[in-house]
Amino acid sequence: MRDDQPTLWDAAPAGPAVPEPAVEPAVTPATKPAPRILRVSELNRRVRGLLDADGLLADVFVEGEVSQPSFPPSGHCFFTLKDANSQLRSVCFREQLERATVRPVHGMNVICRGRVRGYEPQGTYQLYVETITPAGAGDLHARYEALRVKLAGAGLFDEGRKRPIPRWPRRIGVVTSPVGAVWRDITNVLRRRYPMCELVLAPTIVQGANSAPAIVRALRRLYAETNLDTIILARGGGSLEDLWSFNEESVVRAVADSPVPIIVGVGHESDVTLADFAADLRAPTPSAAAELATPDGTQLPTIMNRLRDRASAALLARADQRRRFLDSEGRALGRLAPDIGAARQRSADLLDRGWRAVGDRLERRRLLLEAARDGLRTLSPVATLERGYAVARTVDGRILRDAAAVSAGDPLHVVVARGTVDARVERTRADGTEDLLS
Amino acid sequence: VIDEARLAVLTDEELARRPFDELVAALQRTVQGLEAGNVGLEESIELYKQGLRLHAACETRLREAELTITELGRRGAAPEE
Repeated sequence: MRDDQPTLWDAAPAGPAVPEPAVEPAVTPATKPAPRILRVSELNRRVRGLLDADGLLADVFVEGEVSQPSFPPSGHCFFTLKDANSQLRSVCFREQLERATVRPVHGMNVICRGRVRGYEPQGTYQLYVETITPAGAGDLHARYEALRVKLAGAGLFDEGRKRPIPRWPRRIGVVTSPVGAVWRDITNVLRRRYPMCELVLAPTIVQGANSAPAIVRALRRLYAETNLDTIILARGGGSLEDLWSFNEESVVRAVADSPVPIIVGVGHESDVTLADFAADLRAPTPSAAAELATPDGTQLPTIMNRLRDRASAALLARADQRRRFLDSEGRALGRLAPDIGAARQRSADLLDRGWRAVGDRLERRRLLLEAARDGLRTLSPVATLERGYAVARTVDGRILRDAAAVSAGDPLHVVVARGTVDARVERTRADGTEDLLS
Repeated sequence: VIDEARLAVLTDEELARRPFDELVAALQRTVQGLEAGNVGLEESIELYKQGLRLHAACETRLREAELTITELGRRGAAPEE
């Protein structure tokens, strides 16, 4: 029960006060006194006393690889420090863990500072860790900084190089590990947001000594693809060492070489790699990279409907405008009415004159017909349509006189002077006729 | 690009297979054309019908879209590639 250790340990008497068993008297073969028999707890206490008395072990630095760290609910961390030949049980209590610069991760090389003490109840000893720092971090930070300055000097991180990310991508290239949470997160985000696009995965390893060339190869494979709109380079979180390939010059340069806008989403919010700087857009996480690469599909129906509503509104406004125009044209025609009367008068006069001039019955009949036709023309609905009015018929051919006779969605055939418009009722209103008559 | 000539020859099914951004762009153009108000009523009605078709095609795409995934270099992923 490793969980219990701290409590038990805390409860144990502190300090080097070890009840010292009496120093063995010099053994004389002749007397052969009975061997002193220790209780287990006495022995463990003695060993613990020896450890506590060792000045080096009271404050020691140990370098090793973290193995199997566990994080029970107590908030402490138990792990094994090991090298090629040996293992050391270690514990880092919550307070120390909170202050540590790194969280112990399996396989991570660290330098632990702490104190070695015995643990009597189990007859073991372990390292009580005070501080944990990544081994070689100093080196890595120096390399990171040197390369950052160099590549910045080469212009790779210039703001002016950054291209906008296409808003409506059709094909998105992804470079990441095909196994694990990152690829799953990206596909989940895209399925939810914008499944209209195609994903092109260039799988690669993203960790370890071979990962940098592998990432570069995967990027180049995508660069050879045509019709990609955007590329995402992604990896989950990890230690500085885990993410190191994204700080390798070859990878950073390959990112900068991307022929299309590239989004880099590596690690967590706080992990910033040099590849991030070279990207057109830096995403805090792989999921965020997928979000930044696509429009929010859940908003698309709303956007579409808004466009449709704008179309309807524009059409209605257009129709309204036309109706007003026809109204004024109608009024203008009304003002011309006396002229029509005059024309009639003229034809009547003509008729009279003809009547009088030509007594011929046939001729008279012809003139009569002509006059009748002129009269009909002015009365014919065709002339009315020519003046800009329209006749709306329902599907069963009835002429529509009352807006209430139809409802939204009903088809209408609107006959105008030249041709017919097949339309659909958007909505009906009782008003609108007053100003037609005004 | 989906222009009016294209729209006239594409069936609804073909239209719904066009890239989504093309449909959105065409719908936006149609709406802007309607809103500009420099076309006649008859043409406006045509534009409106065109807009409805594009809207329906967008809806179809939204409803039926499934993420397509292609994986590169399965064969070529030899270590010394």
